[in-house]
Amino acid sequence: MTHEFYLWMSYGATAIALAAEIILLRRRRAQALRRVEEEKDLEAQD
Amino acid sequence: MKPNAINWFYFASPATFYGFAGRLAPWFFVLAAISGAAGLYLGLFVAPTDAQQGEVYRVIFIHVPAAWMSMFLYFIMACYGALSLTFNSRLGAMMARALAPTGAMFTFVALWTGSFWGRPTWGTYWVWDARLTSELVLLFLYFGFIALANAFEDPRRGDRAAALLALIGLVNLPIIYFSVLWWNTLHQGSSVNFRGTSMHVTMLWGMLAMAFSFWMYSIGTAFTRVRAIILERERRTHWVRGLAGAGP
Repeated sequence: MTHEFYLWMSYGATAIALAAEIILLRRRRAQALRRVEEEKDLEAQD
Repeated sequence: MKPNAINWFYFASPATFYGFAGRLAPWFFVLAAISGAAGLYLGLFVAPTDAQQGEVYRVIFIHVPAAWMSMFLYFIMACYGALSLTFNSRLGAMMARALAPTGAMFTFVALWTGSFWGRPTWGTYWVWDARLTSELVLLFLYFGFIALANAFEDPRRGDRAAALLALIGLVNLPIIYFSVLWWNTLHQGSSVNFRGTSMHVTMLWGMLAMAFSFWMYSIGTAFTRVRAIILERERRTHWVRGLAGAGP
């Protein structure tokens, strides 16, 4: 195996890990905001 | 009371910190991107090839900063845990929860990149060496913290249990750091310490730029995550309901 393979596996995995964390963060925030909206709507209906 | 002390309490309120973190987080991401680009440029294009290891040594530009962040974030997380236990601070507990996934991610990156550096240099991806094993224990501590924090229906109980685990786990940090001195390990000793370095100056600056980038990224993600946690926890308060109407 060439040195490039080990470098790409390291840098590639790090890039994927960082990107995945940012995507999950954005999703979590959107879910939290949606939940607040839903509860607010439910309360308004009552 | 001095005005400074009042300011600290002012920012300890989740409602105040939510806006503060939202204003600052993008700037931390910008700093992370700029210093990351500089670090990658220095590490991949400027730093010379290592005489013994060849090109594969360039893994250290992410491996070492990730390993530093894995320990540093754990320490900060435990400090927030202590703050939440001592002063019953809600924001302290939320910050500890916000730091844990990023710390776990950097611990995983340190282990993963270490394996891909170890294979061509040591001839193996993994060895039960004191440094590697104690870093793996750190990853399990992060997983334990996250699992324990979410194991209770009452989040405040989860906060306390997880904070206690974080404080107990602090004992692992000196074990990781000094493992290469206390035991005969395959992992090399520190190339950088407070007294100086044995590295070429461009290698050092590349590594420091990447460490700064990871640090800024960690603050940016912690601030973004703590905003989501605040929304989840305080969703029944008037100020959060007002925010939901105003959009993201």
